[in-house]
This record gives sequence, structure tokens and C-alpha cells, in this order.
Amino acid sequence: MTLDAPYRGHALRILATVAIGMAAACLPHGAPRAADPALGAYLSSECVACHLASGVRVGGIPAIVGWPQEQFVAVMKAYRDGHRDNPVMHNVAARLTDEEIAALAAHFGALKPAPQ
Amino acid sequence: MSIRRRDFVLGASTAAGLATLAAPAVLGQAKPKVLVIGGGPGGATAAKYIARDSQGAIEVTLIEPLRSYTTCFHSNLYLGGFRSFESITHGYDKLAGHGVKVVHAAASAIDRDKKQAVLADGARVAYDRAVVAPGIDLKYDSVPGWGREHEKTMPHAWKPGEQTSLLKARLDAVPDGGVIVVVAPPNPYRCPPGPYERVSMMAHALKQSGRTRCKIFVVDAKDSFSKQGLFQQGWERHYPGLVEWQGPKTHEGLKSVDPAAGTVATGFETYRNCALVNVIPAQMAGQIARDAGLANQTGFCPIKPESMQSAMDANIYVLGDATIAGDMPKSCFAANSQAKVAALMIRGELQHARTFPARYNNTCWSLIEADDAVKVGGRYEAKDGKIAAVETFVSKTDETPETRKQTQAENMGWYAGITADIFG
Repeated sequence: MTLDAPYRGHALRILATVAIGMAAACLPHGAPRAADPALGAYLSSECVACHLASGVRVGGIPAIVGWPQEQFVAVMKAYRDGHRDNPVMHNVAARLTDEEIAALAAHFGALKPAPQ
Repeated sequence: MSIRRRDFVLGASTAAGLATLAAPAVLGQAKPKVLVIGGGPGGATAAKYIARDSQGAIEVTLIEPLRSYTTCFHSNLYLGGFRSFESITHGYDKLAGHGVKVVHAAASAIDRDKKQAVLADGARVAYDRAVVAPGIDLKYDSVPGWGREHEKTMPHAWKPGEQTSLLKARLDAVPDGGVIVVVAPPNPYRCPPGPYERVSMMAHALKQSGRTRCKIFVVDAKDSFSKQGLFQQGWERHYPGLVEWQGPKTHEGLKSVDPAAGTVATGFETYRNCALVNVIPAQMAGQIARDAGLANQTGFCPIKPESMQSAMDANIYVLGDATIAGDMPKSCFAANSQAKVAALMIRGELQHARTFPARYNNTCWSLIEADDAVKVGGRYEAKDGKIAAVETFVSKTDETPETRKQTQAENMGWYAGITADIFG
């Protein structure tokens, strides 16, 4: 069985797209960059001036330990971009790049909350 | 020719040998030594971070005479009855778990040429890098008629501990109808909103106990102060008629105080038989920093904004209230933030740790009345030779009661967080 020319072209385009996608997933520059642990550790020192590294919530300061990374990233970007309005958090988030937020998400995501 | 070449070779090896002897411990076998002088928010944070993050590669010694540290921050909440004294007092035990050697002794001098600190008993402690975080000293000669010998009669309570409890005891003893005078200091001083949060907490304690005929006069050396609009609105809202703030244009200068008689004389008015006078005098960097030549003519210590390294000595880092930190206030939060920058830079120097550009942060919360707190803060970076504010924020006068209550919940949570960061 053979495909008509237009369909054959479509199938090739799909194959090509899949191939590029697979190649991208294998290449460092195409995949999302791995979070930088040293950067995450340094930046985290700013967070633990208020948030307990043990993951315990006290008063109005929430726990930020052990979150799924995508949730952490979304919340920090919301503060950075002004969709959430706490001025303390906006102040912290405003100077963070995407790479820095990813590093923080990986850092705190890897910590285990202490038993409460 | 051969002799000359031999001389050259010998000379080279001798020079290399001398260089090895003179090299800091960084390049030798011994562990590099960091000595931290002062166990407040700046010093204790730096000691912990260097010891913890170097994982034993750097020997960290903290010199602090006190066995426990009562925080200045939230001491006003103790005054207002919102916190116990125990809840604002912290030990140094946990720092040992991070590898810090804590020595409870007073450091009396720094021998910069020999890179040694001299303790009160004459013992010497060598360092490759020193972190100097002595906090402030009070200028006992800045208020006419008042001096060190009067600090029990007219307490300052601007250094934590015994003075904090004394002020609380004196406040509790003020009779209904008694006059309180708070002498507020000129800039720069520790904790810019502190005197005004203190006035708020005094007013709260008086109101709570039904002593509503009392009056608090604030005799200020400044024309304006931190969060002024917020505090003054709060005083009118919660304590009408109880608090009266006067700047120099109103009081026409503080002429003198008489501790024995309980009198405060200004150009405008003389307050006699005061039930309590709280003198918060002018301030300067702690003595050890000034004696070591780390301060300039201002009485505070200039630093390099990229690192917190002393502008006077590359082997010394100065932190917190003792420094000239550009746009950053003298606050606990600021000292803690500066300590993290210094810790990283010191590890960079001694351990070749990866460093990142300095970034600083600060927030100061103040409680005006139960469930009514405000905040001010900002972020900072090294720019144009100083620590410069990038962006700042302050609470607004038209915030809802829910926002103010939430701000106080943040304040309480922050205290737990920062004290765990410093001492935990």
C-alpha cells in the first residue's frame, strides 16, 4: 500500500517533528536546563530568613519545603509578575530569573518536611 | 657564568620558601581559621553559615561573652505583654552542631598586624579572616545630664537583656496619670522604627491596664521618622490623647535631663516628676571595631558593598549595626542578610567556593496595637560604591484590618524563622 503524495508528505512531517523532539530531549541545549544546586542553595538563604527550613508553618509564614517544583515555580512567578500582591514576596521574587526560580524550586522541593 | 646561574637558582628557591612560610593557611596544610566577634544576628549567622557550608574545611570560632542572647527585635512585644522574656531569649548550643566553636569570653582588641584577636584574659586567637559584628555602643555623653551611671534610673533598653526587663518593670509601675518621656535618638541608630513601636507597646500596656490618664511624650532629635504616617495614624486610632510626638521644631531642643528628680527640660516645656524616662541616646559602632581602626569619622565602619569586607582591612568583614551599609537600615534582618553575603565571600576566598553577586534584603515589621502591624522593606545591591536600594515598599495607611492582622501573623512567623536561621 502506498500513500498519496499529500498524505505521504504529512506523515513525513509528523515523523520529522517526532525525530526533532526526540533529538531535542537528548541534547542538553534543547532540554530544560537542570537546576543549579549551588545557586539554589545560595538563593535559599534569603528565603529561610522567614520560612523555616524544617518545613514547619509558624504564624503567617507558610511552609515552602517539599512542594512539587512546578507549583513552586508558578507561585514565585505569580509574585514576580504581580499576580499575587504580598509586597514582601514581590520584593524577593522581583529580581529572580526563571533559572533562579527553578534552582529554588529544586532546592526546596528536595527538602523533607520535619514531622510535626 | 655557572656561579651566577647557581646564585639565581638558590635565590629562587629561597624566595619560594619564604613565600610558603608567609602564605596564609589557605595554601598550607592547616585549616583556614575564621574568627567571629559578636554573637548577635550578624555574627551568629555568619558563624553558622561558614561552618555549616564549609563542612569542616574552615575552623570557625565565635567569641561572645553572653551565654544566651535576648533579641532586641520583639523586645517591644515583651514590653507590650505580647511575648514572654523566655520567648525572645536564645542559647548558642545548636551552633556547635554546625561545627562552630563557641567561646564565651569578651574580645577586648584586634591585633590587625598579627591577625589575632585579644581576649579579656589576654589570650590571643589567630585568624585568617575575622568577622566583626559588635553591634552598637551608646553615646553616653549625647544627652545632657544623662550618662552610664543613670541607665538604671532612666533606662535606655537599647541593648538587650537586663535593660529590657528593667524598662518593663518600670513601665508596669507607672501609676495612672503618670507622665512618660521617651527621648528618641538622632540618625543613624539601631532599628529605625523601634522607638515608635516601643511607644505603641507602652501605650498598649497602659490602655490594657486602665491607666488611660497617662501621657507619653516623645522628644525626638529628628524632624521625621520611619513609618511616621502609619504610627501617628495608629496612635490616634488606638490611643487617642495618650501619645504626643514632638520634633525639634516643636520642643525647641532637648536642654537636659535630671535623673534624680525625674525631669526632662526642652526649650518648649519642662516635664517634672516623670514616672518613667526612657533615654535612647545617639549611637556608634561597638568599641572593639572603633579601637581596631575599622570605623571612620562617623563612628561607624565603612564596608565594600560587594562583600561586606571592611574598607580598612581586607582580612576583616564587618556586619550589621556597626557598619555604614548605604541604604540598608540597622536592623536584625539586614545584619542576617549581610552575614550570608560575607559567609559566601569568605568561603570563596578560603575554600575557593563558588560565589555569586551580593544581594541583600530587609523587612521590618512593627506592631502598633493587637492585630494591627505594619511593615517596611526593600531589596538592595552593590551600586556606585554603596549598598543601594533597588526597590522599597511600606504599608499603606488605608489597609484593611484583615491585612494588618495578616501582617502581624507574618511578623510572628518571621521571628520564628529568623531566630531558627540565626541560632538554630
